[in-house]
Amino acid sequence: MISIEQQSSSSAQANGLAIINSKAPFSSTHGKDALDIALIFGSFEQKVSLFFQGDGVYQLIADQDGSLLAIKDYLKTFSAFEFYDIEDIYVCQQSLSNRQLDENFHIDEVKVLSSIEFSAALNRHQHVLRF
Amino acid sequence: MSTLHLVRQSAFASNDFAQCLSVLDHQDSVVLMDDGCYNLKHPLMDSLIKRVDGSVNINVVVSHAQARAIEIITAVKAIEIGDVVELTFTHKKVITWQ
Repeated sequence: MISIEQQSSSSAQANGLAIINSKAPFSSTHGKDALDIALIFGSFEQKVSLFFQGDGVYQLIADQDGSLLAIKDYLKTFSAFEFYDIEDIYVCQQSLSNRQLDENFHIDEVKVLSSIEFSAALNRHQHVLRF
Repeated sequence: MSTLHLVRQSAFASNDFAQCLSVLDHQDSVVLMDDGCYNLKHPLMDSLIKRVDGSVNINVVVSHAQARAIEIITAVKAIEIGDVVELTFTHKKVITWQ
């Protein structure tokens, strides 16, 4: 008999690194820096979860085009998350509604969480970096 | 003395836009640029549009809004970055909110 005790990625155990994104995408390098850290951890098979809160939610909104600002559009790299096994991507629902934003994102597999669920998900992580 | 207000920060993240509105005079103009474009969706914007009722010239730099996938509302004039230079000549002074 085989017993499987695999925990799902959203389990209650303390797991991995959480990265909080709290800045809008184009006026600072915070978003790019957070992305770089996430992909580095991903490429070393370390578990990473991404949290988008406050103005950070703008990083996920569909139909943006950084090339209009002569900026290299790092948001397009978000679609590589699945190849780095970054599957836990959480967005604060309150931050979206404050900004009158629809749940229309440029990547799939984004989980929109209420404030309580968002903080619970964050508190499952042992390490947190905020950008 | 007319003033040109260049708003470059999101009101969701900073207090700048609120401070700008508190000193705004009826002959002034406002330009939303960079992260200031996000203010189009801020409650302060709705109250500003109601308050001034067309007397204050409110502009947004169209490429900055487009890059951020922000819809431009009819109460606000869409301008190019070159038009901002023109505006600096037609106003006595400029305040940059950043």
